[in-house]
Amino acid sequence: MNVFLRPNLARCLWVTPLTSLIFMSLTLAIRHWVGMTPIFDSQQMLTIGYIAGIFGFLIGIGAFDTWFPWMIGGPTPLHEDHSQHGAYSWRDYFRFNTDHKVIGLQYVATTFIAFFVGGMFAEIFRAELAHPGQDFISTQQYNGFMSQHGTLMIFTFLVPIFAGLGNFVIPLMLGAPDMAFPRLNALSFWLLPLALLIFLSSFLVGSFEAGWTGYPPFSTEGPMGETLFELGIQIAGASSIATAVNFLVTIITMRAPGMTMFRMPLLVWANLATSALVVAATPFIAGAQFMTMFDRVIGTAFFVPSLGGNPLAYQHVFWFYSHPAVYIMILPGFGIISEVLSVMSRKPIFGYRAIAFSSAGIAVLGFSVWAHHMFASGMEPWLRVPMMISTMLIAIPTGIKIFSWLGTIWEGVLQMNTAMLFATGFIFTFVIGGVTGIWLASVPFTYHVHDTYFVVAHFHYVLFGGSVMTVFAGVYFWYPKVFGRMLNERLGKLHFWSTMVFSNATFFPMHWLGLEGMPRRVADYDPAFENWNTFISISAFCLGAGMLFFVYNVIHSARYGKIAGDNPWGGMTLEWMVSSPPPIFNFEIPPRVIGGPYRYGEPGAKHAIFPEEPATTKPEPAHV
Amino acid sequence: MSVHVEPAHGEHEHHGPAKYTYQPNPFKFDPTTLGLIIFLTSEIALFGAFFLYYGHTRLVKGLEWPQPGFEIPADATSFNTAILIASSFTCEMVLLLLVRNMRRAAIAWMVLTILLGSAFLGLQAREYIEIGFTPQTNSMGSIFFSLTGLHGAHVFIGINLLIYCLIRLMRGHFSKDGMVGLVITSIYWHFVDVVWIILYTLVYLLPTHVT
Repeated sequence: MNVFLRPNLARCLWVTPLTSLIFMSLTLAIRHWVGMTPIFDSQQMLTIGYIAGIFGFLIGIGAFDTWFPWMIGGPTPLHEDHSQHGAYSWRDYFRFNTDHKVIGLQYVATTFIAFFVGGMFAEIFRAELAHPGQDFISTQQYNGFMSQHGTLMIFTFLVPIFAGLGNFVIPLMLGAPDMAFPRLNALSFWLLPLALLIFLSSFLVGSFEAGWTGYPPFSTEGPMGETLFELGIQIAGASSIATAVNFLVTIITMRAPGMTMFRMPLLVWANLATSALVVAATPFIAGAQFMTMFDRVIGTAFFVPSLGGNPLAYQHVFWFYSHPAVYIMILPGFGIISEVLSVMSRKPIFGYRAIAFSSAGIAVLGFSVWAHHMFASGMEPWLRVPMMISTMLIAIPTGIKIFSWLGTIWEGVLQMNTAMLFATGFIFTFVIGGVTGIWLASVPFTYHVHDTYFVVAHFHYVLFGGSVMTVFAGVYFWYPKVFGRMLNERLGKLHFWSTMVFSNATFFPMHWLGLEGMPRRVADYDPAFENWNTFISISAFCLGAGMLFFVYNVIHSARYGKIAGDNPWGGMTLEWMVSSPPPIFNFEIPPRVIGGPYRYGEPGAKHAIFPEEPATTKPEPAHV
Repeated sequence: MSVHVEPAHGEHEHHGPAKYTYQPNPFKFDPTTLGLIIFLTSEIALFGAFFLYYGHTRLVKGLEWPQPGFEIPADATSFNTAILIASSFTCEMVLLLLVRNMRRAAIAWMVLTILLGSAFLGLQAREYIEIGFTPQTNSMGSIFFSLTGLHGAHVFIGINLLIYCLIRLMRGHFSKDGMVGLVITSIYWHFVDVVWIILYTLVYLLPTHVT
């Protein structure tokens, strides 16, 4: 078949613009028929064109090739022949692939592109902020870069990267051949590059400027890119809901025999809690963005004060997602840390059930703290103290985790390789971010530092010093499993130390700037703040440059790294029991789980075995 | 309950995943139904976002509903409500008949369900035209049209799913032993119905000034 007719990116090239054009002309026709003037409304055309284009792209890539025939009961050969499963050449990474290992790698690669693009934007506006006054970019461009930085980092890096790492690792850890819904899994991946492109394409029509929070009225009256922001959030949100449903069903129904709930590795527990959070919280940001989008595109009055609009309700709805979202961005990271620390300390994890239940506790409490972002927003006064107390309470499950990890490495035989360095470095920086979180929870202190660089320092300590460190720990830990080759340790350590030193040099002085009253999200500032800002900008450049060690290491080692073998770290969980990289269908023989996942130090202890007698019988002809 | 992954047919010995018997899971659902139920919690949250706006604007901001000078047709819409609730029962009839192997009757009840759902949508569209305010009038108008519109979109999707089920039913696809597609469609349809009952109560039956 012609390359433009097969399901692949080439087919997207013509299907995407075609669907866009069809639906845009339909809109024009309808507007003409109803008698609306003017017939052409650029805001509506943009929205309709993009939405239709998204579906066009998904049709082009082949997301619906099985579903459309299946829905009406037609023949579905793709169900049985496994032709969409597994990567046999590099081309298979650029098509609709249902193998969770391929999807995991696709996810991680896409999110790291978003990470470096978003980081580049931060470097651009840090260059502007190095000195007071206007140097390189206009205030509009500053707002655009600042908003893109936050949006890309949160919605296309931190939220999906854990879906990517989890996608690769979790079915292996559970002893399953794949995720529960492989096609849904592939669909949710392909939504992600679309979201990234939608965000970036907003530069063409005037980038969104209202930050990643998109508060009205700034978002409802901003340039046209704001509509694309709202659209991109919907797409990224749909992607993460679909993945979360998939994770939940996989974890509940597809555990290998013997894998009881309390024999699951802690990363699986963390992903269980995170997925529950995603499913229950993400629709709220969808709702908030629908409302601002309706205000912009069809002229509703949700946030128009003169027509009874209620901008404060936006903040409630938005933070009802976005506070749980910060736990979505850190809980899987906690899981990664639990894995790495236990393996590298050669000790059983301290307080397995405490860590597992504290994940669930954080997930539940995470829904009761959203209004602490709104202490200075003119919110109902009676909500302040309950929110302050619940926010402080959430430090308890987090503290349980921190002390359990300290208990794990206590008197362990520590293997201080790069993954372990990132894991221990994470504990150091995350605790700083956690402590300032407690400060910010208290209403009087928030009144002093609200919307200053203190807040910026706090969330960069928990998101960069916290989540990003766990991502790197995870990448260094599982890279040998993914590629079958080791990362270079010397480059890895250089990467760790440059990240550790320069991230603290970048983000720590922001605390002082904030306490002295430098507001966040401003393109220019009082010359009194110049010294620290110059220092921060230089550190930020060094932090960015240090990432080059990582990029070179990852690309170079995939080809020339030392051969890793099946189990370079001596891990017990199931992903270390298969070859590196794992076989196309993960397990030739279903494993049988016979004990807990962290039985290090027990002589002869095992987490799982492969039964002697292969459970696979001769393939039978399928009867459908 | 155990879930079996069908081994691949074909020429290769080891092509396809190994045959599994998984660890029993505490829920008695098959994966598809479980996935749908989890997805529905996320749907509840989506409606929750709009109800949160509605509640906040009415209770905290203190706007009147309906806005002075406008009326919501609570009585006329009770007929719609009855239609939608009836369609839930007719949808369940399809399952009951299919379990008893009465395929023809099941198809008839399925057609009836689709007709009732479409009637609901048609009556809602009529109400939109005759209600006297638009989404652009004021914020309460916006949230009224958003809530009912979001629900209408769900009814529309539900009707689509029912039509796919009807096609598969006519092709002889569902039977007593394999009707997961039908079961999850009916769960979705009942969900749409329950949301409407909540919506009707909160938006139509609880105006600020009860006349």
